[in-house]
Amino acid sequence: MASSSDVILDSDMVQYAPLIILLPMLAFPVILFLGRVFNKNPFWKNTLKEGGLIALPVMAASLIISLLLINDHIGGFAGIKDSMNLLWVNTAVWDGGALEPVTLGFGIYIDHVTVMLLFVASFLCLLINIFSVGYMNTDPINDNRNHRFYAEFVLFCSGMLGMVLADSFLWLFIFWEIMGLCSYLLIGFYYERPSAAYAAKKAFLTTRIGDVFLVIGLVMMWDIFGSLDYDVIFNAVEDKEFMAGVSSSTLQWALGMMFIGAVGKSAQFPLHVWLPDAMEGPTPVSALIHAATMVNAGLYLVARMFPFFGAEALSGDLVDLAFIIALIGGITAVMAAAIAFVQNDLKKVLAYSTMSQLAYIFTGLGCAMYLANTLDWHNDSESHYIVVVAFGAALFHLFNHAMAKGMLFMASGSVIHEVHHAHHHLHHHDDHVEGEHDDHHDDDFDAQSMENMGGLASKMPLTATAMLVGSASIMGLPLIGGFWSKEGIIANAWRVAQDDPRFLLPAMCVLIGAGMTGFYMSRMWLKTFAGKPNNEVAAHVGPTNTWIKIPLFTLTFVTLSAIIFAGMGFTHWAPDSEYAFMSEKGLVEGIVYEMEHAFANSDSFFFILTYVAIAIGAVLGPGIAMSLYGGNLAEGEKAKPWMKPVIRLNAWVYSRFNFNNSSIAESGLTRALEQRLYIDYYYDMAMLKIVAAFSKKSAEADSAVIDGTIKSIERGSQSLSSIVRSLTTGSARDYILMISVGTLAIFFFLWGVA
Amino acid sequence: MNDWISIPLVAFPLISSMVLLAFVSNASPKVREGLVKPIRMACLVFSLLLLVLTTGMFFKYFGDVSWMDIQFNDYEYFASYAWIDSLGINWTVGMDALSFPMVWLTTFLLPVTIIATWNEKYGATYFPLLLMMGGALIGVFVSLDLFMFYVFWELTLIPMFFLILKWGGADRKYAAQKFFIYTFTASVVMLLGLITLFFLQEPNTLASAGSMTGRSFSIPELIDSARIANTGDNWFLGKTMQNILFVMLMIGFLVKLPAVPFHTWLPDAHVQAPTGGSMLLAGVMLKMGAYGMFRLPLSLFPHALYHFQLALMIIGMVSLVWGAIVCLGQTNLKKMVAYSSVSHMGVILIGIATMQPMGWAAALFMMFAHGIISPMLFAVCGAFKHHYHSMEIGAMRGMAKHSPWLATSMMFAWMASLGLPLLAGFVAEIMMLIALWHMISLDGWSIWWMVGPALVLALTAAYYLWSMQRTIFEGGDETQPPATMDGQIIPDISNSEKFAMLILAFFTILFGVMPWIALDMMDDWTQQIFNGLILFVGKGGA
Repeated sequence: MASSSDVILDSDMVQYAPLIILLPMLAFPVILFLGRVFNKNPFWKNTLKEGGLIALPVMAASLIISLLLINDHIGGFAGIKDSMNLLWVNTAVWDGGALEPVTLGFGIYIDHVTVMLLFVASFLCLLINIFSVGYMNTDPINDNRNHRFYAEFVLFCSGMLGMVLADSFLWLFIFWEIMGLCSYLLIGFYYERPSAAYAAKKAFLTTRIGDVFLVIGLVMMWDIFGSLDYDVIFNAVEDKEFMAGVSSSTLQWALGMMFIGAVGKSAQFPLHVWLPDAMEGPTPVSALIHAATMVNAGLYLVARMFPFFGAEALSGDLVDLAFIIALIGGITAVMAAAIAFVQNDLKKVLAYSTMSQLAYIFTGLGCAMYLANTLDWHNDSESHYIVVVAFGAALFHLFNHAMAKGMLFMASGSVIHEVHHAHHHLHHHDDHVEGEHDDHHDDDFDAQSMENMGGLASKMPLTATAMLVGSASIMGLPLIGGFWSKEGIIANAWRVAQDDPRFLLPAMCVLIGAGMTGFYMSRMWLKTFAGKPNNEVAAHVGPTNTWIKIPLFTLTFVTLSAIIFAGMGFTHWAPDSEYAFMSEKGLVEGIVYEMEHAFANSDSFFFILTYVAIAIGAVLGPGIAMSLYGGNLAEGEKAKPWMKPVIRLNAWVYSRFNFNNSSIAESGLTRALEQRLYIDYYYDMAMLKIVAAFSKKSAEADSAVIDGTIKSIERGSQSLSSIVRSLTTGSARDYILMISVGTLAIFFFLWGVA
Repeated sequence: MNDWISIPLVAFPLISSMVLLAFVSNASPKVREGLVKPIRMACLVFSLLLLVLTTGMFFKYFGDVSWMDIQFNDYEYFASYAWIDSLGINWTVGMDALSFPMVWLTTFLLPVTIIATWNEKYGATYFPLLLMMGGALIGVFVSLDLFMFYVFWELTLIPMFFLILKWGGADRKYAAQKFFIYTFTASVVMLLGLITLFFLQEPNTLASAGSMTGRSFSIPELIDSARIANTGDNWFLGKTMQNILFVMLMIGFLVKLPAVPFHTWLPDAHVQAPTGGSMLLAGVMLKMGAYGMFRLPLSLFPHALYHFQLALMIIGMVSLVWGAIVCLGQTNLKKMVAYSSVSHMGVILIGIATMQPMGWAAALFMMFAHGIISPMLFAVCGAFKHHYHSMEIGAMRGMAKHSPWLATSMMFAWMASLGLPLLAGFVAEIMMLIALWHMISLDGWSIWWMVGPALVLALTAAYYLWSMQRTIFEGGDETQPPATMDGQIIPDISNSEKFAMLILAFFTILFGVMPWIALDMMDDWTQQIFNGLILFVGKGGA
């Protein structure tokens, strides 16, 4: 089939790329084993932090190798494919006339999409590892089982990095499943809680349903291209002669099946139910797996499909799939945002927010795919620009969201941590018994509920700042983080909607969603940090420790400097060498260009759209939230100067525009939202009433009908033999009779034959 | 002499175990108690010797034999001695890439099983029986003579029968009888098929034909003559006869596999069998069925195979799906695992029915991978029963708390069985799926055939995860596990059990990450056999 293309670069670094995956993977058994052996040993516990400080250098090494590799890639600005290809399976298929050899192998493949995810993953893995040391090892409930956490943590990192670096859809799937396993194990980290056990199972099974479709997609893909290697497939789709023999509807089905896998992994409607429950896991797990990295796997998979949509031979054939991708995104964006309105659990708000923001990226990808599939972007430079920027916006949002959401989760973790400690300090100070640390659930106090917070801005300044910046980034407040990418996604959705009216629905969804995001993110920040402490516990919260501060500070910085990344060309993050990393323009010019493009668009439609989006997302949504929640801090509490304006504004809006929302709060819609629109309920019912009940009946049928038939045959032969046996009377008279009858019979028989 | 099979691999375990048994049976109970330790050690050493031998064979230490490039119907370590010359019965042994992995698997599982069940009661007779079981199983895989094959086939029943009868659970008598009678009845049908095959062959043509009968039991010679006869539209022994014989042989193999609806002996046998018995039963004995299919009907009657392709596919699909559904409805841990074997054996049948070298290689690798994973499943079940005196799922929760080793082993085994990538089972599953879809699109089958495997991928995860939720997890406020049971503190698994679990886990990972160690020879062999049978497939069979 197609040979490897000529843009492949020889990189010296690529031979070390497998180490990025192998180091954490080898650290997994080491930490697990050492933990088992040295548990409770003071050196292990205090100096090595129960494995945390074994994981840390490993993740740092992975990050360093990744950065060197990324540097190589940016220098050459072309794909890197590892020449060393490990042959994993070596078999053949019968092709109706001859045996065709088949190989499934492993290698390293690096292009723009890889680089983006590789940086996000390795960077956040390290930061969240640092955070974990401060978070996990200071909570007595985790004592003597942190080794399990760190072992599963590094295995997860290995899976994530492997998925990103792998050179085929097969190995993408393999590492994808490894991540699923780690997600399962880490959600169920507190295995003794029935809710955690349930959540872990739910997460694995829900994503498994997506995975089943993904496998079918892979198998179909294999059948079309005879390989699952990106290199082979992407060259084949550019080969018009080859593509002439491929049914584009089969290919669309294959891609659609794979997309369902992405829907499951990235928690999109209708396979989204697992993500909120996954918050049962420790907070670093929520930050890493369920916000910043694993849930991006689905997006990565869809982004990987770009060459199909961009192929000239398939031009216009895949628009339906592009629409479905955008639609699923649009629906989820609004649905998740709506449910986030009524959540009181800090982490659950963030979970729904994650879902909603991932949906934005899906919409962005769907629109980019549509543009790539319909425009003649190979030859027309204007179309080319549109496609590249649309795809870049989606991937840049992935970057921004991962950074901001990772930070938000870590910040929320630090809040929960300190609230919990304050509670512990207040209520258990006197009757503290060594070894009785089980106070995560020893009473009704919920350290994650925002009802137990309020006014923390002055008590945890760095955390509050990080949370503020993160929220602003997610909301798309001008100039900060996600703004640069979100505007692009909204603009592209509307650009596509002008072309294909079906896209009006996702386009409306993302626009409305911007306002909803503004509301729930503001609500979360205000309820937690502004206003007066809601109770005694919140009044006694103290600042957090250094391990937690380092990643928070770093990510605040990264989020604030999103404009620099934008200027460096992150918005052009498509597999295309024309829009080189900082090549066309310098950094300053790039920033000016982005500014101009965002705020003073020459196209009047997009100019208006930008300001409408800003008005909805950055004014209307937060404004309503401010009028309902928060207010001034308690007397004598001082916020940092950069948070003061926010709190003052909040206090002013609160006093001026506050209204009674109880009629809305008690409406049926609110109740439905609180019940997550009953979707989880019906899924559970379907599982219990249909699947479980049917299987129970089947098990009964198996022993009653199938085994019953066998048993009745057995009984039949037994009764038959007992009839025969009854002839054996033991009386000589009977035997003599039988012998004579038998002899006569033989005699007559022989006579007859003769 | 190049015969590394007859005496070292077959006669040695059989004779040594019989000697040990004879020795023990004459001893008084008190002496027997004292004999447990030396006999156990002897059995372990003997089984390790076997393992060293087969592993050495792999690494070319014995006889410098390469397992690649073995032509179809060509055998390594081939040896043949006249046994009953007048009838054409010979002692013929040999191995190819089909049988060698199975032989290695048997020799691998023997010491592991002995270690895993180190403290089994009545050890003086238990361990020799395991050894005997191993010898009989190896005998099945190395026989290249129909008569010999049948003898060993039935010989495997005897030690297993006694293992269930003496070391089994409460209902062991029923289970042992059912196991024996059920599989024996099926084997008789198979025997009739074998004898018919013997009588129908062209007299006085085969080299090892008996002086009196003019016919031969030799498998290689029969396959050769069948291959010559099976050209174009010609059917070896004629179309009708080939179909009849195919069905007769398959009945024996399908019951042994087992395939739905002939599977109901398996859950009973497994639930009642002792851990060691279950490990060998699931690990190797079930594979005798699949092995037999490849060795006889597939090699002899390719036309009939094509004729019955749809039937095999249906039986495979039904086994796969029905097994998984019934698993979900089980409340007994061991029964669930037993049904999961039924489901996994469906994969083998589907792999065969794809009529693709990749599908056949998947079937071979599934035999091998399941042979490593399922003993671990049963070892976990056995340990669970041993610790908690119950097999009910949900009777004991929060296992992770007081038996972390057992919980970890269970998690690992369950995950391996549900096909987690980088563990052995996944390779076979993904290959089977690719081959199945390829067959569907190549031969124009309905895509609905894909629904079964897809459903099972989800169902398998569902029953395993659900059972783990109710055993490993929970045990919190409401379902706090007791610290003691019957007044005794519940310990974690013993060191020998830990060791056995680690070995099994290690090999599961090894063959999952580096499947080519075993898969390459299987792939090669399936391509060879395909080239050997290719004449008919091109014509589209009947």
